[in-house]
Amino acid sequence: MKIVRHSLTVRITHWLIAVSGILLLFSGFGQMPMYKRYNIVKIPGLAWSSNYELTLIMHYVCAAIFTAAVVFHILYHLRRKEFGIVPRRGDLGVSLRGFAAMFGLGKEPEHEKFQAKQRVIYAIIGSTSLVLIATGLLKSYKNLGAIILDPMLLQWSTYLHTIFGMIFMLLFLAHVAALLLKSHRPLIPSMFTGKVDHRYVLHHHRKWLTEGDS
Amino acid sequence: MKITRRTFLKGSAMAGAMTVLPKVDAYAAPAPQSYATLIDLTKCDGCAGQESPLCVAACRRERAASFPEPAQDQLRDYWPQKKHEDWSNKRHLTDRFTPYNWLFVQQVQVGEHVLSLPRRCMHCDNPPCVKLCPFGINHKSEEGPVHINQNLCLGGAKCRTVCPWSVPQRQAGVGLYTMWQEYLPVGGGVMYKCDLCKDELAVGGTPHCISACPKDAMAIGKREEIFSLARQLKSDYNGDIYGLDENGGTSTIYVSPVPFAEIDEALQQQAQETGNKQTVRLNNPENMLDKQKGLALLSLVAPVAGAAAALGLTGRKDSGEDQR
Repeated sequence: MKIVRHSLTVRITHWLIAVSGILLLFSGFGQMPMYKRYNIVKIPGLAWSSNYELTLIMHYVCAAIFTAAVVFHILYHLRRKEFGIVPRRGDLGVSLRGFAAMFGLGKEPEHEKFQAKQRVIYAIIGSTSLVLIATGLLKSYKNLGAIILDPMLLQWSTYLHTIFGMIFMLLFLAHVAALLLKSHRPLIPSMFTGKVDHRYVLHHHRKWLTEGDS
Repeated sequence: MKITRRTFLKGSAMAGAMTVLPKVDAYAAPAPQSYATLIDLTKCDGCAGQESPLCVAACRRERAASFPEPAQDQLRDYWPQKKHEDWSNKRHLTDRFTPYNWLFVQQVQVGEHVLSLPRRCMHCDNPPCVKLCPFGINHKSEEGPVHINQNLCLGGAKCRTVCPWSVPQRQAGVGLYTMWQEYLPVGGGVMYKCDLCKDELAVGGTPHCISACPKDAMAIGKREEIFSLARQLKSDYNGDIYGLDENGGTSTIYVSPVPFAEIDEALQQQAQETGNKQTVRLNNPENMLDKQKGLALLSLVAPVAGAAAALGLTGRKDSGEDQR
């Protein structure tokens, strides 16, 4: 038996954020002088990657999609009062036990629709995204014309954007790596179909079934 | 008109966008009290008879303390590339931009006119080098000068690529990256260029190139005064003006007795004849940021679009959606 875990709206939002996020990472790194130096331009089909104007265009377009999708996600779930993925008191401790269980140490704690560690990771990726959006909006604003920001404000917002971009990349890699673990693999098709197997829910999200938490 | 949820949302989105849109046209131009400079090509003769133009000599002499001094063991190739940029053994060059030569004078014949063209950073109004530096350490102050923080520059040379005149120049073996280049191949040196002697300006002084000019071919003043003087000279000479609009506007204004399009053509022809691959042109480059400002605006209105979509879709349940 299959259980619906993600609605169509949630899946579309997730993939808009995921695809635009990946392209933002690629075009963002392309805004640093590295693709030519490290011979990425020599990879067939990527000769254009050292062109700052092309990567800037890609960054703007993907930033618009990413930002719109994140704002949509926040407001959509706020209005529907869906807070199942928001971290709760005690989640850190439960997360540590959950991470240990992923590597065969101890038993996986019982969870609601979202595991405690998923809620914690969500908060970390979410706040990283918000820092990127806030600093990115400032960076876009100053590019509208002869707008002169305070040089130190520009410097620190640029540093923050670059550093949080790197953090975002590490979090993205960790997110993908976690899904490749055998215990989490059933979640991969669920991001396409929206459904997970009943047995998986029983094993990983027992409280979701018993308490009806969303 | 009947107001439906759809028309209400559309209206809200438009209203939201309007809070951003008017700012697009209200570009904060550089402050009127900021500095601009004037270069009068009817007066400059490149200091004929001198070993080098006096403005160039003054810049090299007075700013020598800011020039890079790389240690030989720090001059390494930019892995995995088999090259690095070292100008420390070519300090004598005065006919191009280098980390040791921030100003040079081009000479070109256009018809009956032999023109001398002092070239340095234009200190643009909307400088791509400043706005696109991935570390934000290229600064434009409200007073006008564009300058690079050499203590924090990693020498990626992106500023040179996005500058239409390729003004900033890189010196390897100096700067922050030397702290880790042995272990981590990141960084390539430090970028150098004219900063309009901003420290001199801060204490009421004058850039060294301007005070050294024996012909009074260069002037510095408040932006509006210089612009107005440039327009007046253009009219007096029945000539041409350069720098007001190029690359989205600059604070370095040239006035010439002959059209700049002809000067640019002559410069290119001269480069071809002398076998130089590149010359610092006097063309009309489009500012890369201005070209893409529509997309910058798109990213700014994205939150409004996301919010409008959320308000429009909230409450609807997809078929088969978990209701809990």
